[in-house]
Amino acid sequence: MANRSGTAQRPNGQTQGKICQFKLVLLGESAVGKSSLVLRFVKGQFHEYQESTIGAAFLTQTICLDDTTVKFEIWDTAGQERYHSLAPMYYRGAQAAIVVYDITNQDTFGRAKTWVKELQRQASPNIVIALAGNKQDLANKRLVEYEEAQTYADENGLLFMETSAKTAMNVNDIFLAIAKKLPKNEQNTGQTGSGQGRRLTEDNPDNKTVMNCCK
Amino acid sequence: MDEEYDAIVLGTGLKECILSGMLSVSGKKVLHVDRNKYYGGESASICPLEELFSKFGAPAPDESYGRGRDWNVDLIPKFLMANGSLVKLLIHTGVTRYLEFKSVEGSYVYKAGKIAKVPVDQKEALASDLMGLFEKRRFRNFLIYVQDFVEEDPKTWKDFDPVTQNMTALYDKFGLDKNTQDFTGHALALYRNDEYLNHPAVETIKRIKLYSDSLARYGKSPYLYPMYGLGELPQGFARLSAIYGGTYMLDKPIDEIIFGEGGRVTGVRSGNEIAKCKQVYCDPTYVRDRVRKKGQVIRCICLLDHPIPNTKDALSTQIIIPQKQVGRHSDIYVSLVSYTHQVAAKGWFIAMVSTTIETDNPEAEIQSGLALLGPIRQKFVSISDYYEPTDDGVQSQLFISQSYDATTHFETTCLDVLDIFKRGTGEEFDFTKIKHELGDEEQ
Repeated sequence: MANRSGTAQRPNGQTQGKICQFKLVLLGESAVGKSSLVLRFVKGQFHEYQESTIGAAFLTQTICLDDTTVKFEIWDTAGQERYHSLAPMYYRGAQAAIVVYDITNQDTFGRAKTWVKELQRQASPNIVIALAGNKQDLANKRLVEYEEAQTYADENGLLFMETSAKTAMNVNDIFLAIAKKLPKNEQNTGQTGSGQGRRLTEDNPDNKTVMNCCK
Repeated sequence: MDEEYDAIVLGTGLKECILSGMLSVSGKKVLHVDRNKYYGGESASICPLEELFSKFGAPAPDESYGRGRDWNVDLIPKFLMANGSLVKLLIHTGVTRYLEFKSVEGSYVYKAGKIAKVPVDQKEALASDLMGLFEKRRFRNFLIYVQDFVEEDPKTWKDFDPVTQNMTALYDKFGLDKNTQDFTGHALALYRNDEYLNHPAVETIKRIKLYSDSLARYGKSPYLYPMYGLGELPQGFARLSAIYGGTYMLDKPIDEIIFGEGGRVTGVRSGNEIAKCKQVYCDPTYVRDRVRKKGQVIRCICLLDHPIPNTKDALSTQIIIPQKQVGRHSDIYVSLVSYTHQVAAKGWFIAMVSTTIETDNPEAEIQSGLALLGPIRQKFVSISDYYEPTDDGVQSQLFISQSYDATTHFETTCLDVLDIFKRGTGEEFDFTKIKHELGDEEQ
């Protein structure tokens, strides 16, 4: 699953800009707002009492950057982080990750650091990692200082923003920042990039490659 | 863990993961546990390479093997039939979107010490060097018959009743000789032994059709193989289960399955924790006292730094050695995958030779398979017992899967899973329960 970049051909023959597709994974302790961030980014919605993740673990959203369309294929943990049971498949071929913590909960920041280490161990060495201090709307109950997180992010080469899925603050921005940092050339598929296999579909078995699988 | 579940699934092998996914999708509250700290049980792919070497007690691999993390070595070799049940399950459940596949490049059959491409269409039949000139024509007529055959339309049966008449009778109708019968039954219909000859011909016709329909789907061969190894399959179905609310715990020892009144399961104990449940689904390794040994399978993993000779340098292939060619009762299977599937470091190949054990010198039994491979850099032999449950589980509500057999594909795997699901829930799996709109938010 990697950089399936290519040039999209419109039916009328007109050529669009480049389309790049990236796998982005979310990580972080339960209840820090991983699903809420995605829901805000993809659908512009927010639910105060978002259920634990059920049934929504594969979302896509596109961002336009100059002449390039960046399509994110976003993987949510589906709760498998709870008992440390995330499968290697989750990290496989991921080109970007958002590690989320809750600014009102110091433990979740500690866990975020563990997730960053896990990514450095399991994921592609070229992965773009962003740290999101979520629930910024609850800044009056803050227990993780902005500077502390910023210092940690700088030391580890991470993008960093405080976000609020509730107010939408910095939600689009953090995805945009990731999109800007991702390599857009076809060759740059990273170490664990696409094996150039094909996805199986019911209707178009003759689709020989998935190099350009924009739907 | 101290909660109550509809079902607890033990072991994260492929069968258990498919079951877990199907149960969660059907609205059941599922707890899925594995004593190992990795997914896949016996159907895992081993990574890194160092772990494979130490698992078999071999000294660590030298640097010629490249980076250990680039390897994902399957313990059980299988391919997916492109038009088979597992592909259908993957597509209907949406699990296919977590995976990428490649077509297996070659499909060969062994005859008189040599290997030849398996002929499947009329053109190939006429070009094949497996048969003489007249036999080729007879085989072509047979293929046309199978191709035109429609089970529901007796007109296509052409004065032959495939339900009451057996396969030997159909071979005789077309005058096919023993050699042709051999590769038809074993390399096209993929039977492991010759019992099928006495069964209704329709069964074999359907299997040959599955082969040719699978071939028609992606070309080259009827087989598919997932990038990064077969171990991706259980992980994909586990994810499906989790998306539908399944709870996952790895690295959790299981100390006891608890039974209550009438010998029905009531829960599972791990240390001091007890999870209550109405049903347990598991693989044979969790219930040694409720399974019986049915046979043994030998599997030999061979690391090669070259493709298999005489396969046109295919980066993936399957070779079937029909039993009679080497004086046996069950076929020998050779499969090859390589770096192109992200299961080996650049330039490396993984061959697996396997068969059902018939003698007390199993390694000698696979010799004719090993001899096809050329120089072997490293060899790991494993012998596994093949278990089946002693009862159907309906009374105890403890449903046990069968061990993975020696077949080269997943058809029997899926049959077992669908059968267990039916016994466990009293109904066939309803694919319409999968809410695509929840799982798939494609723009």
